[in-house]
Amino acid sequence: MRHPITLTINGQVYPLEVDPHRSLLHAVRDDAGLTGTKEGCDDSECGACMVLVDGRPTNSCSYLAVQADGTSITTVEGLADDAGLSALQQAFLDHGGVQCGFCTPGMLVSATALLRRSPHPTTDEIRVALSGNLCRCTGYDGIVKAVAAVAGEAAATAET
Amino acid sequence: MSRHAAPTVPPGPFIRPDGREKVTGLGRYAADLTATGQLHAAFRYADHPHARILEIDTAVARAMPGVHAVLTHADVPDVRYGGLAQDRRLFAKEKVRWEGDVVAAVAARTPEQARQAAAAIEVRYEVLEPRSDYVANLLPGTPLVHEDWASYEADANLGRHGNVLGRSTVVKGDADSAMATADVVIRGRYVAEACQGAPIEPRAILAEWAGDGVTIWSSTQVPFAARSGVARALELPESRVRVVVPLLGGGFGSKCDFHFEAHVAALARATRRPVKLVFSRREEFIAPDHRREGMLIELETGATRDGRLVARRARLVLDGGAYCGEGGFFAQMAAMHACGPYVIENVSVEALLVYSTNQPSSSIRAPTAPQTCWALEQHLDEVAAALALDPAELRRRTLIENGSVGPTGQVYEAIGAKQTLDAALEMIGYGKELPDDEAIGIACGWWPSFASPSGAYVKLNGDGTATIVTGALESGTGAVMALPLLAAEVLGMRPEDFSVRAQDTETGPWDLGSTGSQTTFNNGRAVIAAATEVRGQLLDLAADQLEVDRADLELVDGVVRVVGAPGTQVTIAELAGIGKVLIGKGSGRPPESPPVDASACVGRLGMESFLAPQLITHAAHVKVDRDTGVVRVLRFAAAHDSGRIINRIGADGQVYGGVLMGIGQALSEATWFDPTGRQRNPGLLDYKLQTASDAPPIDVRWIEIDTPGAGPKGSKGVGEPPSVPTPGAVGNAIARVIGRHVALLPMTPERVWEAAQADGRPPDGRPPDGHGQADGDATTGQAVR
Repeated sequence: MRHPITLTINGQVYPLEVDPHRSLLHAVRDDAGLTGTKEGCDDSECGACMVLVDGRPTNSCSYLAVQADGTSITTVEGLADDAGLSALQQAFLDHGGVQCGFCTPGMLVSATALLRRSPHPTTDEIRVALSGNLCRCTGYDGIVKAVAAVAGEAAATAET
Repeated sequence: MSRHAAPTVPPGPFIRPDGREKVTGLGRYAADLTATGQLHAAFRYADHPHARILEIDTAVARAMPGVHAVLTHADVPDVRYGGLAQDRRLFAKEKVRWEGDVVAAVAARTPEQARQAAAAIEVRYEVLEPRSDYVANLLPGTPLVHEDWASYEADANLGRHGNVLGRSTVVKGDADSAMATADVVIRGRYVAEACQGAPIEPRAILAEWAGDGVTIWSSTQVPFAARSGVARALELPESRVRVVVPLLGGGFGSKCDFHFEAHVAALARATRRPVKLVFSRREEFIAPDHRREGMLIELETGATRDGRLVARRARLVLDGGAYCGEGGFFAQMAAMHACGPYVIENVSVEALLVYSTNQPSSSIRAPTAPQTCWALEQHLDEVAAALALDPAELRRRTLIENGSVGPTGQVYEAIGAKQTLDAALEMIGYGKELPDDEAIGIACGWWPSFASPSGAYVKLNGDGTATIVTGALESGTGAVMALPLLAAEVLGMRPEDFSVRAQDTETGPWDLGSTGSQTTFNNGRAVIAAATEVRGQLLDLAADQLEVDRADLELVDGVVRVVGAPGTQVTIAELAGIGKVLIGKGSGRPPESPPVDASACVGRLGMESFLAPQLITHAAHVKVDRDTGVVRVLRFAAAHDSGRIINRIGADGQVYGGVLMGIGQALSEATWFDPTGRQRNPGLLDYKLQTASDAPPIDVRWIEIDTPGAGPKGSKGVGEPPSVPTPGAVGNAIARVIGRHVALLPMTPERVWEAAQADGRPPDGRPPDGHGQADGDATTGQAVR
């Protein structure tokens, strides 16, 4: 039996009908057609499927679509706005935080969540916050530098 | 003619052209593609790692809801394929030889229906004894993994016999006699487990037929090899197979070679519908015939009191697994790494690549090198201890330098091995005072550059931009994305004026693919050649239009202008405007392998000659908790001679990623096989990759030297070397803390703890003169004459 649910994804309302076992990941990718969110393990181990559910970073592979009924979801496609890339997205490019790019959507979502709850994290706090997102290409170096750079800019902006 | 506002080159690093689609989530990877009417594929894998197939009954599966096709060996041509030995079929026929052997494939309307039908296929087996212990498979009388091995097509130089898939030796001088003259002889026995490439993207394939041709979108590192494999396995002309790679989510070697494209193409042909296959993480561990090889490494070195290495004897046994794949050259490559980048006067190394009923081994980032180097570099630290030399000093005395003669008689010219040693020692602060649970270990390694034909087109567009069309493959390294830097310099344009069309067998010239750290080396050469041809066309047109001599012209900032007369110029945009056709093509001439004198070596497959070798020294600063065996890498220094560096942000990224992959191999990554050869940990919870919290700060330095035989602008390869000496450096650091070498890889907390308990720690922190190893069957030890 399929259940009607409503997801608001990146500000757009999606009325969907999903099987009870449908994961939020597959609802986002296959039903809403937003393929930026990746499936790397289907077991909450790699973080490639990370989205924000009402602002909370969530492994969407291990979250039922029916649980998310009525929530507001942010995916990687929702991070850039009309003005262009977010500061984090640009910093990932500037600091070599992107290689194959498969972990990048989840990594950006986790980093966005971190900077929203803690605008001035230490490097250690950044590393801990991203430890649920696996990257095989970059050694995390460029990613951590990118987040630190944006946090530094946020700090500078806050001071002025 | 018009004035051209000179474009300004932006400060900072070169941003990869595929970056924007990757950070916005709009770029498509293979699993993101959907074709109208597509069906979903699922495989039935072997139910036993080693068994004779008696009967396959697909009737029940075929009748299940949503099922469109079920294929077995009976539905495809009876063709064997493989690399240097053609020992595999698409679908297992008489036997299954490992748990990932594909017995049947299903196409159904949903992924769930496909998986249910695959499970419903009835297969009757005669279960055979597994042959997972690859070293035991060498024993006389051991049942064969491939009973028909002698009838296979194969490279005659492999030296196959029974369960031995490959045998190679490296022989120089008379190691036996020289060993007898040595002041000190050290022996070591090391065992390395298998491990995985483990890209974050599990592989995906979508195949669709149109007429008598098939287009296959695949997450492969080697589209042209995949095309050849499909053509061979399905008996099609290559011209009817097109392989396109969307964005590729990493590979690290695991997506090299032809894998599952033909299975999916066959399903699509049978159903007359597009068919899509997406691997689960478990399948990504178990099903590819591609993982890093387990190895037994036995080393013996004779040295003189003044630190000369007079003899090396070694015997290496490599787990080749069930099939050859593209790993046929491994015995010779491992034998070269058992010598390492050192001057050794006499050498006798034998390496055996052995069949087993484990997952097949094939290239993972610098195949055979990290394990062999890990063993050799720990062994060398024992040699140093026996000679009462500092490990760095022994290496300083024995590393190859300009003019040194290698184990196969190759004379090395212009290499920076010793400079990498000095740089790594300086970066890590070698010799500084440390707490007694911390230490610094070093390791040196090498890796060849690989020459290959490669090709590219460069076409100029009417708006003054250009497009690079290449068959090369961007796996994430940035190698293809950095090609605009090379073309831009030739044409006096900005890198961001170029777009890149790559990884499509129908549009690009043949290319080896993202393998062997060779994309910049070979495709860079091709792009420069293609851009140079266009440059000639531009100069001809401009000379005509400006009525000047061609030799007086230069290309700068998007214009062709007369040298010394800046006003006399024409823009590239005008020259390439509407109605103009400016296309360059190029391949360039691959450098030739340096000469060797390897007449005493057998099993020669081309690895005896190291073209433009890359040299590396790594230094690891670790902290060991003696109570738990937990090792933490606090800081890491990596010094590399990879020739001239073309794109610093890309090259640095290879080191950061490769070192962390090496730390994973050193401390936490292993595929554990149960006694039957099944993987015990095919998931990311139990197969532990290093996380952001585990990663140490890594200092990188490039020793930029012009080596003969190098690639464009003096570059060598970059991608694989960062993985080579990392486990060895970590191992040597651990040994300096706990007083003995851990002879099993990975050096897990249990193994480090056991090694630390085994004996009292000598007061100087050096490895003891004693023998024996706490853990299992690996030992290190020495005999001082």
